[in-house]
This record gives sequence, C-alpha cells and structure tokens, in this order.
Amino acid sequence: MANLKIRYTKTERARQKKILKVSERMLPLFEAMEKSLMATINSIAERIEEIREEIEKNSKAAEPWIAVMSDSWVNIDQFISVNEIITKPIDVAGVRVQQFEKVDFNVMPVDGATPLWVDDAIELMQEQLQLRAEIKCLEEQIELLEEELLDVRARIKLFENRRIPNAKIAIRKIGQKLQDDERLTIATAKVVKTSRQKEESV
Amino acid sequence: MSSMVYLMCSLPSLTYGQVPPISLDEFNADAQKQLSKKHFKALEAVDIRQMDGQTKDLSKKSIRDMLSEVQEDLLEIRKARSENRQPKLERLSNVAIAANPLEREKQIMQSQWEELSSIEAGKTFTLTEVMVYKLKLQILSRVHSFNAEQGAQVLASVVDPSIKDED
Repeated sequence: MANLKIRYTKTERARQKKILKVSERMLPLFEAMEKSLMATINSIAERIEEIREEIEKNSKAAEPWIAVMSDSWVNIDQFISVNEIITKPIDVAGVRVQQFEKVDFNVMPVDGATPLWVDDAIELMQEQLQLRAEIKCLEEQIELLEEELLDVRARIKLFENRRIPNAKIAIRKIGQKLQDDERLTIATAKVVKTSRQKEESV
Repeated sequence: MSSMVYLMCSLPSLTYGQVPPISLDEFNADAQKQLSKKHFKALEAVDIRQMDGQTKDLSKKSIRDMLSEVQEDLLEIRKARSENRQPKLERLSNVAIAANPLEREKQIMQSQWEELSSIEAGKTFTLTEVMVYKLKLQILSRVHSFNAEQGAQVLASVVDPSIKDED
C-alpha cells in the first residue's frame, strides 16, 4: 500500500471506482468457482475411494483361488497386457480434463491346452486393470482441478487483499485531495475578493 | 526289462497331493541312465499338457485319449461359456467345473491321476508304468506349485506394473 502511486484527478477517481465495481462483481464469481472446484474434487476423491473398495472386493473374492496363479505351467502375464487407455476430453467445473472411457487390452487367445483358470484370471485382471486405469484418470483430473483451485484462490486473495482495498483507499484519498483543492480554491477566491474590495474602498 | 525294474524300484512311490519326492529333472536323469535310447525317447515324448502323434501302443493310446478328451472338455466349457449354456462334458464332471478355479484345476488333475492309475494297473515294470510315473510326477509338481503368496504376487505384478518395476 505504501508504494501505491495515486494520480489525484477526477479521471483517476472514476477509473478506481470502475476497478472497485468490477472487482466487487468478480469476487463472488471466483468464490463460487472455488466452492464448485472443491466440491468436484471431493466427489472425485469419493469416487476413487469407491473404486479402491471395488478393487479390494475383487481381490477378496479371488483369495480362495489366488494360489492357482503361481501355476508352474502358465506364465499369465503373456496372456494379457494393456494396449491403450482410452479417454475423452470433458469440461469439469470449467477445467478441461480427460474422462476414462475404457482400456484396450492385448489378450492372447487361449487354446485347448491352456488351463481353464487362465480365463478366470484374464477376466479378473481386466476388471482390476480397468478400475486402476479409472483411478489414474481421476487422480489426473484432481491434479488439474487443484491447479485451477490454487489459481482461483490466488485471484480471490488478490481481489480481497489488494484490488478492492487499494481501489477504496485510492478513491478516498483522491476524494479528500479533490475536496482540499476545492476548499483551497474557494478560500483563495475569497481572499482575492476581500483584498479587491479593500482596494476599491480605499 | 531289468533296467526298467531297477528304475521303478529306485523311484519313490507317489501319492496324489503329496510334495513331489523327486524333481522332474532328477527323474529324467535317472531314466536316461537306466532306459534304452528308444525307451527314453518314447518317455521324452510323454507330457501331461500335450501328447500328439499316432501310436499302436494301447497304454500310450489310452493316455493320449484321456488327455485329448480333457482338452476337448475344456474347449466345450469355453464354448458353452461364450454361448451361455451348460457344457456337455465327456470326461470331466459338472460338479468339478462349478468349483472355484483352483479347486477345479485340482479336481481335473485328480481325475487325470485316477485315470492314469487305472491305465498302469497290471503293467508293472513296463514302459507304461514309467510313462505314468512321469505324468503323475508332472501332476504333483504342478499341484505343489500352487501357492497363495506367490499367486498374489503374480496377480499384483500384472494389475500393478509398478510392483514389477520395483522388483
């Protein structure tokens, strides 16, 4: 505030009034944006938690037969791999993020000699990989939204702590200065008038 | 014949579900020492996972038929799953198929074990008995490889590649 340079003119006062008006109109918008971003981040975090629970549920369901995956006859990771995680861009709370669509898998076809459990394992692995890919997408969404949230919070601080108070101070100071100048002008005029009257009477 | 007797007498007996008393490599090394080249070559061609080729030997044919029938059942189960219907099985039982994947594999192997026992009945000190011994040893080795902790690691390494990278 100490460095605030003010031009004490009516034009500057009008400009500062305009800044104040715009800032006071923008502040609630940014506050609403902050709330919306926070709510969206929370709901995405809840969804991540739900997916984690689903992954845990699937793992628990597979526990009774998980031992078969160490089968010395089968190298299961040769049967399945992720080719591509497919996403589509969407706007969430005004931020462009990638929404999870599906995972494209490379699945090696099984033959008659392939043990039957491989089918069940592929199904389970696809499910778990899909869920994990969705979590990854959602975490990336949160990252982007948090970046935006920081930006919005910085703007709110700027309006609350600098723009609005500075404009108010500038308006007040310019007002005082203009008033002082006006008083000085009137006083000077009066002095001039009185001295002229005195001169005339002499 | 005498070498066959010596080999079979030197091998430990096998029971379904036990820890394999010898490894397949040890068995192969012993068999190579004791058997003729012809018999050892015939033994090498025997594998519980796949047995191809024509044979006049009835026992070998029985083993091959049993294995191919199990494979046909597996194909039928897969086909039935894709068509959403009950499978029509020749060798495996529907009860075994309904079990969880681990129990199902164990039951399939147990039924193969029992079938192998009936094939080797009365064929003491013959190449059939040696072949069946090898197949049974393969079954035991496989059952013994089923381990919950290692299985969980295998699953984790596929669904969470970062674990694999750490290793």
